[in-house]
Amino acid sequence: MKQIALYGKGGIGKSTTSANLSAALSGMGLDILQIGCDPKRDSTRMLMHGQFIPTVMDLVRVRGEAPITLEEVEFTGFNGVRCVEAGGPEPGVGCAGRGIIATFQLLEKFGALKGDVIVYDVLGDVVCGGFAMPMREGYAQDVYLVTSGELMSLYAANNICKAIQRLSSRTKSTCRLAGVICNAKNQPNEEELVAEFAKRVNSSLIQFIPRDRVVQLAELNRKTVIEYEPECAQAECYRTLARRVMENTHFTIPTPLEIDELESLAYSYI
Amino acid sequence: MSLNPLPIHTSRFGGCTLTGALSVTTHVRNTASIVHGPKGCTHHNFSLLHATGLDNETVTLPALVSTALCESDIVFGGETALLRTLESVAERDVDAIFVLSTCIVDTIGDDVAAICGREYGVPVVIVPTAGFLGGTFQNGVANALCAIAGTAEPCPVNDCVNIIGEKNLEYEVEENYAEVARLLKTLGIPVNLRFVHDITFDEIGTLGAARLNILREPALLSVGNYLKQRFGTPFIPTFPLGLAGTLSFVEAVAEVFGIDSSAAIKQERQFQEDILAGFSDLRGKDASFDPAMHDPDSMSSFSEVAEALRINMKQPGMNGVPLGPGAPVGTTGVRRMLHRWRRQLHA
Repeated sequence: MKQIALYGKGGIGKSTTSANLSAALSGMGLDILQIGCDPKRDSTRMLMHGQFIPTVMDLVRVRGEAPITLEEVEFTGFNGVRCVEAGGPEPGVGCAGRGIIATFQLLEKFGALKGDVIVYDVLGDVVCGGFAMPMREGYAQDVYLVTSGELMSLYAANNICKAIQRLSSRTKSTCRLAGVICNAKNQPNEEELVAEFAKRVNSSLIQFIPRDRVVQLAELNRKTVIEYEPECAQAECYRTLARRVMENTHFTIPTPLEIDELESLAYSYI
Repeated sequence: MSLNPLPIHTSRFGGCTLTGALSVTTHVRNTASIVHGPKGCTHHNFSLLHATGLDNETVTLPALVSTALCESDIVFGGETALLRTLESVAERDVDAIFVLSTCIVDTIGDDVAAICGREYGVPVVIVPTAGFLGGTFQNGVANALCAIAGTAEPCPVNDCVNIIGEKNLEYEVEENYAEVARLLKTLGIPVNLRFVHDITFDEIGTLGAARLNILREPALLSVGNYLKQRFGTPFIPTFPLGLAGTLSFVEAVAEVFGIDSSAAIKQERQFQEDILAGFSDLRGKDASFDPAMHDPDSMSSFSEVAEALRINMKQPGMNGVPLGPGAPVGTTGVRRMLHRWRRQLHA
């Protein structure tokens, strides 16, 4: 079983990329579980044709100590992809990170973490230990950074490198940086910049995903691109990503950049 | 790691703010103290207060109520649990409710003030605590005293004193109070309020009526300053310790009240000499005090008494009988200490 996690700045397109990646992987005949690890709970929405599925934390909130079953939190979406949303508190209260930890403990208890591939789609910034949970021992070994060529997006990706570096230094840790996915914002030299960033942090650009209107059209139709227009170039791009993820053997301990180095790198590609 | 620096001296700083604050709030009669956090924080403090009460020969069942947070409250925030608990405690015919927070609710950022700010038909007093995160036992005591003092308004001043911050968990709390009250009586000064030791919530309203506040110990300096600022009441920073300390205490109180203390001092000095005469059998005994076990004020009152009785002070570990612990409050405190020394030196 392969467990992969996608991390990156909020709004960069992690959920879109994750959902299309899961859809493409399922097209290869694989059993896929996608877990949305964000209180926003919209990671699996396109796989579920626009439906917001009940989250694990919603059920915990309503039920209290009463038992919850796997059937109540796991939903089957497009092409058999199994979907789970961790959920969490309303903005501004409680502790979302603890919610992620509690969700993982419940899923472990259910024996839900099975299949050919588990895709963890995680909140933008690793603000506390809870959001590093998917990278901990026994969960995702392969971490992919999703970024554009914008400085703030690279900055967030670089911060996540720090978390991976810290976690991978632990003796039993199996978590490694598996590559960088460039979800383009149509900036000049964007692919080159992100490829160079990936190289500097001791990794590589695994896929360049160009900006394409079909992504918005598919979302308005509440579908992944893979389902909405399977023959388009963008869908092929996601399928290529899926193949590369499955074939990838290049896993590294990242070397995060200093902020000055990151800024001058971005500056040199203007 | 707490961002609050921790004092390094004495075990008194070992507990968390909750224990310190509860040692104060549970001494306001017919009130409840809500501990906003997991059940365990309340359990440990209930046990500690109960066991200490038994040690002091009183059976106390402190009125503590836990908001009993569980994991989902931590994830979603504990404010609803606090609201529910406040509403239920408010129905129990209590005169006031104190609300204390634990480490975890301050970690996740519950807005305790906003929830306590609602109308419950009974005064709700927030005591800033935050468990270990908020500091030590001593911070808890000081925060509770200041929070409770905040409910009182300035009022006309009379010729009386308040006793501030008695150590409600110490073994000799009543004896120490009685000694201070005795010394005050030699000057004809009554005690207005034991703030806070076994009082009603209404009595707190008279806090501003004293001409002088007497703090239990210098660690309460921040409380003394707060009361001075709020009510304009000057303070003496500590209960009297040792022989000379007792005499200077009487002088200091008399000065604030503009009273001639010479008769009282003469009488007290005679009392001290009579006591020392009764312990002349300790003369020439070898004793030691471990400076690591006692604060500097206690050490100087030990030395003073040992010197007056010609007890030989040895270095720790040099054949002297190790004495202690406990700083003697007032002249009768010295007498109780000498009874202990006699048992140890003649053992």
